[in-house]
Order: sequence, then C-alpha cells, then structure tokens
Amino acid sequence: MADRLFASFLLIVTLAYAYIAWTLIEAPFQYDPLGPESWPRILAAAAIPCILYVFWRPDAEPFAVTKYTWFRIAVMVVLLFAYAELYEPLGFIISTILFGTIVALSLGAPRFGALAFGVGIGVFGYLLCVTLMGLNLPEGDIVEAAIEIFNGGAE
Amino acid sequence: MDAILSGLATGFSVALDPFNLMLVLVGCFLGTLIGALPGLGPINGVANLLPIAYGLKFPPESALILLAGIYYGAEYGGRISSILLNVPGDASAVMTTLDGHPMALRGEAGKALSTFAVASFIGGTIAVVLMTLFGPLLASVAVGFSPANYVALMVFAFASLASLVGKSTVKTLLGALIGLMLATIGIDANTGVPRYTFGIPDLLAGIDFLIVVVGLFGMAELIHLVEQQVKGTLKSLPVDKSFVQVSDIIKLRWTILRSSFIGFIIGVLPGTGASVASAVAYGTEKRLAGPEEAKSFGTGNIRGLAAPEAANNAAAGGAMVPMLTLGIPGSGTTAILLGALLMFNVQPGPLLFTQKPEIAWGLVASMYIGNVALLVINLPLVGLFARLLTIPQHYLTPLIAILAFIGIYTIVGNPHDLFLITALGIFGWFLRKLEFSLAPVILGFVLGSLFENNLRQALSISGGDWAILTEDGTSIVLYILAFAVVFAPIWLSRRARRAAAAQ
Repeated sequence: MADRLFASFLLIVTLAYAYIAWTLIEAPFQYDPLGPESWPRILAAAAIPCILYVFWRPDAEPFAVTKYTWFRIAVMVVLLFAYAELYEPLGFIISTILFGTIVALSLGAPRFGALAFGVGIGVFGYLLCVTLMGLNLPEGDIVEAAIEIFNGGAE
Repeated sequence: MDAILSGLATGFSVALDPFNLMLVLVGCFLGTLIGALPGLGPINGVANLLPIAYGLKFPPESALILLAGIYYGAEYGGRISSILLNVPGDASAVMTTLDGHPMALRGEAGKALSTFAVASFIGGTIAVVLMTLFGPLLASVAVGFSPANYVALMVFAFASLASLVGKSTVKTLLGALIGLMLATIGIDANTGVPRYTFGIPDLLAGIDFLIVVVGLFGMAELIHLVEQQVKGTLKSLPVDKSFVQVSDIIKLRWTILRSSFIGFIIGVLPGTGASVASAVAYGTEKRLAGPEEAKSFGTGNIRGLAAPEAANNAAAGGAMVPMLTLGIPGSGTTAILLGALLMFNVQPGPLLFTQKPEIAWGLVASMYIGNVALLVINLPLVGLFARLLTIPQHYLTPLIAILAFIGIYTIVGNPHDLFLITALGIFGWFLRKLEFSLAPVILGFVLGSLFENNLRQALSISGGDWAILTEDGTSIVLYILAFAVVFAPIWLSRRARRAAAAQ
C-alpha cells in the first residue's frame, strides 16, 4: 500500500517532469544534436516504466508506524523547521540552546541533563566553530541589536 | 613500475607532511568515534563532516586526506557497535554481527575486537597495495576513453549497481534515476537554458551537492533515529582481557587473504561497495568450511568474523580505484568523496594521477598510513570507543541536526537551505522506509552531469547518429559486461533452484 502511494506520488512528479521536458525546455538556438531537453526526456522515459513496475508489484513491508511514532516524527520535523526559521534571527547560540534542550527533553532526557546539553552545545559549539575553526555561524539579529543597545547605553 | 615508485614517493612526501599526517590521525580517530556511535554508519559520518571539512579551507589534498581518514575510521568504528551491541552501523556491518556478537556474548569480546582489527588491517593493506599497482594501469587505459566509451562505462556502472545493491533491482534503478533527475535542476551548462528552476534564483546553480548528501543521509538518519527510539540506553557488553593470538591469525591467513581479494574486486566494480563484498566473503567462507564447520557459522566462529571484515576494508580501498582513475565512484561513500573532489575543482579521472599527483598519490599514501594508524588506535583504545556506545540516543539525535545545520550554514550561508535539507531528510526517510537504498540516489546525482555531457558530446561527434555508442570494441565489451552483471545472478539463481529441484 505504502509502496503504491509513494509510486503514485513519484509518477505524478515524473509526469510533470516529462511534461516540462517535452514542452517547456528548449534552447533558442543550438548546434549540437542533443539539446537541453533530450536528457530529461530520456530520464523520464526510463523512470516511468520503473515506477509502473513498483506500482504493479509492490514489495515493501507494510508501513508499520504507530500513531505515536508519527506524532513524534511530526514534532521533530516541526522543531527542525522552527530551528531553521530562528537560526538567523536568534543566532546560533540561543537557537541551539533552545533546540538542543527541547529535543533532548522530548526524547526523554532528564530535565537537568537536557538543559546542560543544550547550553553546552550552544556555547561551546559556537566557541569551537567560530573561534577555533574560523567557521561562519550566525551571531543573531537580536543578539546584535542587544549588543548595540548595550554599547550605546554604556557610552 | 618506476612511475609507481616515484608516484608513491610524491605521495608519501605529501602524506608525511606533519600537518597532513596529523589530519590522517585526526580523521581516523574522529571516524572511529563517529562510526562507533550506534546507528551512525560511515556514509552518514562522512556526509555530516564533509561541509565542516570544506569550511575549514584546507588545501584540497589535506581536506581529502582528512575525509578519507574519517571514511576509513568510520568503517572500523562501526564494527565496535556491531560486536558489542549487535547494532550494525550500516549494511556492511550486518555480516559482522553474525559471528562477532556471539563471540562477545561468550566472553571473548576482546578477542573478537582484536581479530577484527587485525583482519581489517590486512584487508585494507592488501587493497592499498593492489590499488597502487592497478590504479595507474587502469588510468592509463582510461586515458584513451572516448565520450561514447564513457557512456558505456556509465551504463555498466548503473547496471552493476542495479543488480548487486539493494533488495529490488527496479527500486535501485529508480533510486539512481531520481538522483539523475535531481541533477538536471539548474542551468544547462551547454546552452545556458534553465531547467526545472521554476524562476527560483536559488535553484539556478542547481541543488548543491552538500545539501543532497546531508539531507538524504544525515537528516534522514535523524528521523530514522527518532522512529527507532528505544527507551533507556542500549546495553553494551564489557570488553574483557581476551586477545587474539598470533596462532589464530596464522590459522586465519587463507580466510583473510581470500576475503581481501574478493573484497577488492567487488569494491572496484562501480557502484557496489562494502556491503556486497562482506556478504559475498562470508558466504564463500561458509561454503568452503565444509558442512560440519558451516554449522558453527553464526554462533561465534572466528572465521565468520575475519572474512567479512577483511573483505569490507579491502572493498573500501577498492572502491577508491574507479573513483580516482575513472571519476566513477565504487560506492555511496566514495560518491561523496567524489563530490568533495569536485567541490575543490578537482576533476577525478584518468588524468588525475599525472596532472594532480599530489592529490592522487597523497591519498594513496595516506591510506597506507591510515591503515597502520587505525590498528594502533584501535587495539589500545577500543575500551574508550566502547564506552561511547552508551551515549544516550536523546543527546545523539539533536547533535546530528546541530552538526548538519552548522555544516550547511557555514558552506552555503543561506537559511533556505536549512529547510531544504529537512525536506530532503523526510524524502530520504520515506525512501529508506520503502526499501530503496540511498546510495544509488547519490551516485546518480554525482554522475548525472558527467553522463549527460558524455552522451551529448558523443552525439555531437557523430552528428546525431546514435550508432556511435556501439561502434568500438571497448564500448561493446562494457555493454556485454553490463548485460552479464544483470543477468548472471538471475541465471545462477534459476540454475541453483533447478539443481535443488532435481535432487
């Protein structure tokens, strides 16, 4: 069942892919026998029989994922998207402390351990990556603004 | 021969440079560390650390040496969790759990771990020696390859991939096609026509290789961990004082030698990596052991432990051969290394050994050193790595995400890509759940433009005549091999079934 659902999804995507290859992609002028549209056409033509085969003979185990697991995965995905969303505005340190602590907590870590983990990774991760390895991580718009206000206030 | 020796000399002068030497050691250590974490296989380890290694702005040969060390180390480290926890880090470690874990249960964990370290060392070293001998030879043959030959080679690569990797041939092929299709996104380099960009400026340059790798492997792994989450920590068996004896190794010498050669050959085949090699070596040993001893396989037979290990490490070395000489990776992990080379603007292929000897030979030399380093690191420090196994999953899971985010953000510096890797992670998890293997996807993605460009060049040469693809002997041989690699297993299994029916 899961195989068929996924195959239908792939089929829709591939048909759209093929449609674009056959109608929309074209070079204004070209000297080569194969233009930019040929390769996608070949790929689509090869993929569609494969998808139909999976549709015809699905072989995956039934998708044994309980409701509770779905819920946990959904929570994880939401947390990841939130982490991505807040990465630049809050900066690496704050967003990582939040993300690390919340994820560890939601996966069953003890409260104090989760907090220590989040803070440790956020602060030491930043120091390690930015100071020691010279990598570029977001400082955070809010943090920057706070530092500015702080500096401005001190003057 | 002279060329090989002078090449090796160049290589060792690169690899023994104190900085690079340190990177080999650090890479092996980090790799073992990552491999030893339960559930994180070599491919995920390399995928997660690749952007960080790139962000450090080392010269290409140093970065590659570091990555190769991590790759090697992770292959090693994965075995520790197989033996002590019965949790294989990746597909190739499954064979190791069969006899390694029973040995540990019997109180011979120390012996099992040291046997695997020695077997891996011998397998890895044999592979590097073979690679030193045959790599340049293969490169010199491949220099004369025409675009049409390359097309045939790609067909062979994908045929052996489809036939030998994964459970279902069609699904493996479909996985590779998904990778190839993903690679068509972006501006077509030959004509400047945008393809599948939907007017989104971020897509004009195509999807970054790193995003695909970190998304499909790192993030998918993370979702998998959340799904598999077991309450409490896994229980690790203690490492005792038992140790492998020289007499054991002497008894195992033929097993290790045979398996190393099997592993190397399978590793060289494009597309098939360590997982196939270890399974074939295990099966061969079991068959050769005779009906009496074969019964003890799976209950802690030391031969059953040494064989897949030697094969596995020999395959890891063998997979480097087509990657360096043809530009066609032999496994999923080497596909990632190939992508890493391309990011440094190094085009692997037959000319690599002559044009960039410091990279090709430096890498070969660092593999010699890495093998020794792994043996030295692993024998005394195995207890330390074993303790890592008890890192609770609830800290490991967020750590993977944080590492992936650091890596992608420092390289691409675009917060949209953080969404993209998460989305690809979900897609990768679905693929995994439906028993698609992910290695073909990444192989397709890496090889996409090479395949397309060679096909277009070949047809430009012939003026649009498709017959050019089957015109010369090399191509025809490759097509025959491709045909054989797909149909031989089918034919063999039919014959075996008929023989069984006749009895």
